[in-house]
Amino acid sequence: MAKLNFEFRKRLDAIIDGDHHNYCYQCGACVADCPAARYSPDFNPRQIMLLALLGQEEALIGENSPIWLCTNCYTCYERCPQDVRPIEVIIALKNIASGGKRAPGILEQIQKSVNEQGRTVAWSPLVDRRRKELGLEPVKPVPVEEIQKLLEE
Amino acid sequence: MRYAPFYGCMISLKYPQFEAAVRKTCPALGMELVDLEGFSCCPDPIYFKAGDKMIWLTLAARNLCIAEEAGLDIITMCSGCTATLSEAHHILEEDPGLRDEVNIRLKKVGKEYKGEISVRHIVTVLRDDVGLEKVAASVTRPLDDLVVAIHYGCHLLKPSKIMRVDDPNQPTILEDLTRLVGATPVVHSENLLCCGKACISDEMPAEMTRDILDGIAQVNADCMGLICPTCFDEFDLGQLRLSRRFHRKFNIPVVYYFQLLGLAQGLSPRDMGLHMHKIKVHPLLEKLGLPTA
Ligand code: SF4
Ligand code: SF4
Repeated sequence: MAKLNFEFRKRLDAIIDGDHHNYCYQCGACVADCPAARYSPDFNPRQIMLLALLGQEEALIGENSPIWLCTNCYTCYERCPQDVRPIEVIIALKNIASGGKRAPGILEQIQKSVNEQGRTVAWSPLVDRRRKELGLEPVKPVPVEEIQKLLEE
Repeated sequence: MRYAPFYGCMISLKYPQFEAAVRKTCPALGMELVDLEGFSCCPDPIYFKAGDKMIWLTLAARNLCIAEEAGLDIITMCSGCTATLSEAHHILEEDPGLRDEVNIRLKKVGKEYKGEISVRHIVTVLRDDVGLEKVAASVTRPLDDLVVAIHYGCHLLKPSKIMRVDDPNQPTILEDLTRLVGATPVVHSENLLCCGKACISDEMPAEMTRDILDGIAQVNADCMGLICPTCFDEFDLGQLRLSRRFHRKFNIPVVYYFQLLGLAQGLSPRDMGLHMHKIKVHPLLEKLGLPTA
């Protein structure tokens, strides 16, 4: 078995709720109703928490990482007796992957869209035409400069 | 009863018929919706949050500040916006350290989060503020004989300690609200299964939505009734994709709760934007004796 990677665990601990992986006692209560586990043999939230406890960086954020199969359903958050919030730990892992440019392209696409328009769905004249047909005003503008200021580190 | 509605990107830009349905049904419930300036994306609880939780929290806090400045509670009608804004609100209330950090960032745009308002999903406002009797009293044309297969979607209910909407294992709120419009809600075998939208895979979301739709087909419902635009995307447009992928016809109309309420309040199918759906809703309109054009 690979050596414990404390450095990676520290990085995980620094992200909101990432530190909750430390509370996992591997009971498996998060697995039974996990839809991603039901539909994929490669996915198991208990195992992901174990990899986190071991600090297995490559398995967690490398090319074949299972974390992207999670459906964000929050059932594990509901089931875990230890308040591990596996879904939040998984999102924290995604933050690390994203920071290291190892995330699927859709993340960057969405970031770009929020950065440039303050929205995730692009505006087009068709949008306001459909709204008008329904008796709605055009979509309100987003103060994009404000958003951009907040996106600067 | 004054509230700041937060429609979000999916509803305002992609499915404005749901915004129309909410706006047109609320007056009869005695709810006043006050439109505020300056909201951005909630931001997105899936991909944007996966990029950087701290920035996600900061942008969410900025949205909360706008409602706070107006002294109004936010109401959400998209389960994704609910997930982000309710969780951000919860974090900012529970973690003073994070709240300070967020406020340092918000200073750059002249804002400060104080924690003076709450975030409510609109269905809880119907149940807890308006009251079920008053919702029922707004109905002038009960949708008799209409059978609706309820689909909850995940983020309305979970995590329950943050969402505080209903029992996440045996919810009844959408069934209760559906009965009020005169329709008959039915529970299907996969009523709590996730739509899979967030899962980055070609197969899994397709298999999940297929199983949900097959569950609904078994209970002979006239339509699927839901409250989340992301689920709607997966099930309405999604059925066209599923029909191609699995070489069989998926054809169950999908309706947002407030569209049903609108029909029951006497509003027209056009007012509710039902003609904008990919899966045609004609069969259920015919059953209700309403115009299909
Ligand atoms: S995350 Fe929670 S439920 Fe899952 S194995 Fe660990 S302690 Fe058990
Ligand atoms: S949120 Fe939790 S239960 Fe849902 S798919 Fe992800 S790991 Fe599984």
